[in-house]
Amino acid sequence: MRSIRKRTSALVACAALLGCQEPPPSPLPAAGNAAPVRGGELRLASAFDIKSLDPAVASDALTGEAIELMFAGLVDFDDAGHIVPDLAERFERSEDGTTYRFFLRDNIFFHDGSPIRAEDCKRTIERALHPDTPGSFSLFYDRIAGFEDYQNKKADHLAGVVVEGERVLAIHLREPDATFLPAFAMQILRPVCPSAGDRYDDTWTPCGAGPFKLESWDRGRTLRLVRFDKWWQPGKPYLDRITYSYSMNIVTERYKLETGDLDTDRELSLPDTFRYQNDPRWKLLGEYDVIPSINGEEMNVEMAPFDNVEIRRAVAAAIDRDQIRMLKTPSLIPLYRVLVPSLGGDDPNFPAQKHDYAAALEHMRRAGFPYDPATGKGGWPKPITYPVYKQGLYELSAQLLQQQLAKIGLRLEIKVVSFPTYLMMTKRRGTTAMAPAGWQQDYPDPNDFFEPIFTTSAINDEDSNNGAFYSNPRLDDLVVRGRRELDAAKRKAIYDEADAIVCSDAPWAMEYQYRYYGVHQPYVKGLRQSAVWPNYVRDVWLDKPRALAMRRAPRGILATLEGLLR
Amino acid sequence: MIRRALRRIVWAVLVVWATTTITFFINNVLPSDPARMVAGPQARPRDIERIRKQLGLDRPVLEQYGRFMRRLVHFGPPNPSPKDAEHGTCATLGRLHFDLGKSYQQRRPVTTILGERLPRTLMLALAAVLVQTLLGVLTGLIAAAKRNTAIDHLTVGASLVGISAPTFIIGLVLQFVLAHRLRLLPLDGFGETTSQHVAAIVLPALTLGIYGAAYYTRIVRDELIGAIKMDHVRTARAKGLPAWRVWMKHALRNALVPLVTLIGLDLGALVGGAIVTETLFRWPGLGALSVTALLDRDGPVVMGTVIISSAGIVLANLLVDFSYALLDPRVRR
Repeated sequence: MRSIRKRTSALVACAALLGCQEPPPSPLPAAGNAAPVRGGELRLASAFDIKSLDPAVASDALTGEAIELMFAGLVDFDDAGHIVPDLAERFERSEDGTTYRFFLRDNIFFHDGSPIRAEDCKRTIERALHPDTPGSFSLFYDRIAGFEDYQNKKADHLAGVVVEGERVLAIHLREPDATFLPAFAMQILRPVCPSAGDRYDDTWTPCGAGPFKLESWDRGRTLRLVRFDKWWQPGKPYLDRITYSYSMNIVTERYKLETGDLDTDRELSLPDTFRYQNDPRWKLLGEYDVIPSINGEEMNVEMAPFDNVEIRRAVAAAIDRDQIRMLKTPSLIPLYRVLVPSLGGDDPNFPAQKHDYAAALEHMRRAGFPYDPATGKGGWPKPITYPVYKQGLYELSAQLLQQQLAKIGLRLEIKVVSFPTYLMMTKRRGTTAMAPAGWQQDYPDPNDFFEPIFTTSAINDEDSNNGAFYSNPRLDDLVVRGRRELDAAKRKAIYDEADAIVCSDAPWAMEYQYRYYGVHQPYVKGLRQSAVWPNYVRDVWLDKPRALAMRRAPRGILATLEGLLR
Repeated sequence: MIRRALRRIVWAVLVVWATTTITFFINNVLPSDPARMVAGPQARPRDIERIRKQLGLDRPVLEQYGRFMRRLVHFGPPNPSPKDAEHGTCATLGRLHFDLGKSYQQRRPVTTILGERLPRTLMLALAAVLVQTLLGVLTGLIAAAKRNTAIDHLTVGASLVGISAPTFIIGLVLQFVLAHRLRLLPLDGFGETTSQHVAAIVLPALTLGIYGAAYYTRIVRDELIGAIKMDHVRTARAKGLPAWRVWMKHALRNALVPLVTLIGLDLGALVGGAIVTETLFRWPGLGALSVTALLDRDGPVVMGTVIISSAGIVLANLLVDFSYALLDPRVRR
């Protein structure tokens, strides 16, 4: 007991020493301008690092933030995730849905000053989808006519991408595909400068047509972008420069926000999140980024005991999502079905998965493994290996899940492994019966939450994205139909049915959607919540008072000692 | 003497080769897929397969090893272009080429990455060793001179704290007090100019140095207490030499011999990178690089950092051996 008290005191002392006990300092003031002001440098940071700035090969969200600023597409997304023209002034779809035609704006330029023509867009697409390019998402575009021949090096060009004039690009698909446009609006096929050439090359210096251009990139440390003055939107962007600092410790990030050396902090620790959320001066300066994602438990339908659908249903009913949310209340939104509200999953009467302990016990009985909570007897007789990788939330949620499933007679044996090992174990056939799983939208379309993870075509012996190895011909058919269907109302009905099948067959037990909380200084204006892009700063402007020194003064030795002693 | 030195050098090369080989095979039998790590967790299997082939990971491990060793040191044209398919990733010394391949994640030559990181790590290692040596010798000397007094107890106690406290705690406290509150030093980073580099290196060097200094303090104190009782020191005192001269010239010199070994070994170990300190202070050295490479299963970078680390330790050992011979004539016999 004494030892526990001692340890707790030591921990409190340590926390106080590092400033955990104090309320955050007051935010730095804004000048109070109502209209956007041009100029200034926005300073952002992350604990992680980016690996490539070539849109053809970049595959992580953090890199995507910078690419969104440096590379503009023919089309982009508005805040709600709808497709809007960008470098193209307009676009049209043919009646049968197999041809998209993009009409480029006048006087649009690459960062090197050369004009953007339809020919450049074709060159970019062929460069990104060439089989020698080490890109990860070429299959988003497999419906483009001639894709297979091009990928198999039977053709030198993509037959479906046709230049119809200096400013007109047509893309022909081999069948209607409702996912084409959202996938095309992503960053992979965004026009790159002529210096990129026809084929991917590691030594290329990134150069695109976005509102900001590359000034310098010190790998692992800093990325500096400066305003591109020939950007097609007059008066935009507002900022002179954006500086990203990478690989920064999250404690340092907070220190720098407080001293005015960073303008936003989107990687607050959980205690710091509470500190800022509970402080009335900072509360209104916080915002959430919610990029659609699903997280839950993946159950391998080819391995016992989850080859029995009743056991899977028992798991889905035994999980108390509200309890899981309590592990990280600011970040977790309970999830009961595949489609999140922003993708059409907003029907309150939908037959979703839900926590129902009595039903879970009943499913166990039907499965042939009844469990008696009073005596603790019954249930599945063997322990189930449950791999998690060292990531704070998974390690906690695994323990909670272990407790929740023990109440229906399923015993989990938690095995902590590295992330690469976890990926290998969960994506290889016949290796793992149950594991935590997550999927973040690649592009905003309901198809992206079914085809890559729940269909038969997504099953592979190795690297299977369908880690549940779940196969249902009815679902496969619905997904194919949903992809071809161009009518929004009909698509919604199709994906609702697909969602109901997944909820009932329970290859996954849904748990939560993740969101990120961040705070910014009051002078950072124009931050927008995008349904697609995290940390969206394209239209940010700075409302800094001119006369005021924006950097907070040091505290001085006496104040520091006082802080330490408090 | 020369034969012995040559034998030591041959052994050193063998040790580096063995370490490299063992690491290569461990790296290749780990249950993970570098191609998946490159492609990202949501990549489609066909794209992953394509990337696996592009990286040559579909070839048998022995074939990969053979290619790695053949490419490691070879001859080629001087100053090849970065776009040269055969030699674009090589570091060159005239016609002598060193090639560690291309990083899976950064898609840049590993020799280029190491070339950027190694000088920064060496800078930090030297600064840290300097701090720990100066601090350790000074406090050890004071503790020995004031043996069994309150100052001695305080110094020994403080050194115990220094040895016991994890580096990241020391680093966090120093960062909080000196950088965040007092704003005397930068919180992290490397800086752009020489003066900024100097300011930026202080905190990481202090963090590493305090731990080492605590250890050195105890060693110097104990060695000095032993040395001060030796005959030649007693003679020096009897000759009427001032106390400071007796301590500094006659006692300390002997006490420093075991310290030379430690300094050499510490320097060698630090060349491999101080992982925690570099990560905490965003110091762009080999430590932070190696840990990222390990987590990402970036095989070529892992191999590069292992070769540098093992070579650093082996070289430091060699230098320690040779310096022993210089410091202590008995070893030369």
